[in-house]
Amino acid sequence: MSIGKDEVIHIARLAELAVSEQELPKLAEQLGRIVSFVEELNQAPAEETAPAYLAGPATTPLRPDEVNPVPLSRSPAEIAPAFVDGFFVVPRLGAMEEA
Amino acid sequence: MSGEAGKRGSGEAMARETGARLKGAESLNAVLDWSQEILDAEGARVDAMKAPGVLHAVPVALKDNIVTIEQPSTCASRILEGYRSPFNATVVNRLRAAGAIIAAKANMDEFAMGSSTEHSAYGRVKHPLDPTRVPGGSSGGSAALVAAGVVPVALGSETGGSVRQPASFCGVVGVKPSYGRVSRYGLVAFGSSLDCISVFGRTVEDATRVLSVISGHDPLEATSVDQPAITPAPAFAGAQGRPPLQGIKIGLPREYLPADLHPGVRAAMDRSIAALKDLGAELRDVSLPHSRYAVPTYYIVAPAEAAANLARFDGVRYGPRHIEPADGDVRALYRATRGKGFGPEVRRRILVGTYVLSSGYYDAYYGKAQRMRALIADDFTRAFGPGGVDFLFTPTTPTPAFVAGEKSEDPVAMYLADIFVCAVSLAGLPALSIPIGRDQGLPIGGQVIAPYFAEPRMLAVAAALESAVSATAEVRS
Repeated sequence: MSIGKDEVIHIARLAELAVSEQELPKLAEQLGRIVSFVEELNQAPAEETAPAYLAGPATTPLRPDEVNPVPLSRSPAEIAPAFVDGFFVVPRLGAMEEA
Repeated sequence: MSGEAGKRGSGEAMARETGARLKGAESLNAVLDWSQEILDAEGARVDAMKAPGVLHAVPVALKDNIVTIEQPSTCASRILEGYRSPFNATVVNRLRAAGAIIAAKANMDEFAMGSSTEHSAYGRVKHPLDPTRVPGGSSGGSAALVAAGVVPVALGSETGGSVRQPASFCGVVGVKPSYGRVSRYGLVAFGSSLDCISVFGRTVEDATRVLSVISGHDPLEATSVDQPAITPAPAFAGAQGRPPLQGIKIGLPREYLPADLHPGVRAAMDRSIAALKDLGAELRDVSLPHSRYAVPTYYIVAPAEAAANLARFDGVRYGPRHIEPADGDVRALYRATRGKGFGPEVRRRILVGTYVLSSGYYDAYYGKAQRMRALIADDFTRAFGPGGVDFLFTPTTPTPAFVAGEKSEDPVAMYLADIFVCAVSLAGLPALSIPIGRDQGLPIGGQVIAPYFAEPRMLAVAAALESAVSATAEVRS
């Protein structure tokens, strides 16, 4: 399986990850190698199949629908890069719809 | 512990001693954060406790993806540089309530992605016995600190073997509990269907004592199972002159003992198998036919879950942010922050995970991997089923610790270091690694795998083996 530079750019965009032009060839080569490796799964006989695995308890435990927050030792204002009047401040949303 | 920390009584003295040991071990680069001030406060706190707990004055190191209020929790990533959690992980609260001293935050592969602790943004961790080699990973800092005698016990986390593999490389005990048995509240998520907080100790007894404190149901965590805390099982005593493991059936999966197995690992396994026989266990050849697909399955499932879990690191709510160009929109903020904040291996895995989940590929990769995962788990169910065996015994790793840099340019070669530990993680089973000898000075680990929630008996079998084989004797002399 080979992965081209254009495909890396597309995946990186989906993952919201900046990738520089210089690192593209190496990334494409490494991702191609990893994807070829995981394709070893295709060697398994087709008749060997099972329902998809489910980790953990079969049912999701529920708790009472009560607002009962765990006390925090510091507020978002101390942790966030920009926090004003109870809001996380971000740049303009811009071209969100282009995705 | 084992005659050391637990009995000394004085938290303050232990805090000073631990500080000196941490200072003495700086060259390992195994620690991301510690301070004498915090150690002293911890020592004074445990001294003031009304009754000594199970872990009274025991210094514990924590992998840096287990969040604490007092120290930064960075996951060895630039994207969380300086981040301080507003709460403690459940395991941290339980350790502290039992009298433990939180001693240090340990270095790790960034976001727990790696098998060598070379992928830390803060430099690689050195193997305590040979600084040119890796301690394994991703919990390499925790393993190295226990192996170097800095702390008697430490916590790490496993997604695909990240405690058992470094335990094997460093010659210490590493125990992964059943999925859901130890609360992950406060463990930074990597692969949510796989992640387990796990324990390092110098002895099985020490690791068991820590597990008894941190396990048990936690209402704060939705995947926490309704099982009691792990309590030590009575040792297999060998009553009335019978050998201690008489009646115990131990399977040797042939896929884990290939003809071309590293000769040192083979010699260590042969010696341990002979010891298990001498202890009275019945050894049986078994097959886990889907084992060969475990690593490729893991490297679809884990990156897919990582790509989703790591979406939360975007420069909005915590961590440093980067905007390029300065007047960019919010997506430019995400891309620049994530592009600069994540290191190479994390970026690779996010990209692979995004790829296998993307439109048109989902069923060919992720769907297929989840079905294979069920077959891998079924292999174990059959092995432990009616007429089957009680435990499985395998090598933990295919080789002893490798030289730093040897695999860092070849991600697939690095992934294969986890070949004997991955399947257990995919099946959610408990397993442990104990040192079973050395080859040319390098430790080799043996792995005991148990059915779900059979940790107490698994630990008792390991304790019997521990007493029967030398952890440090050369296996090919």
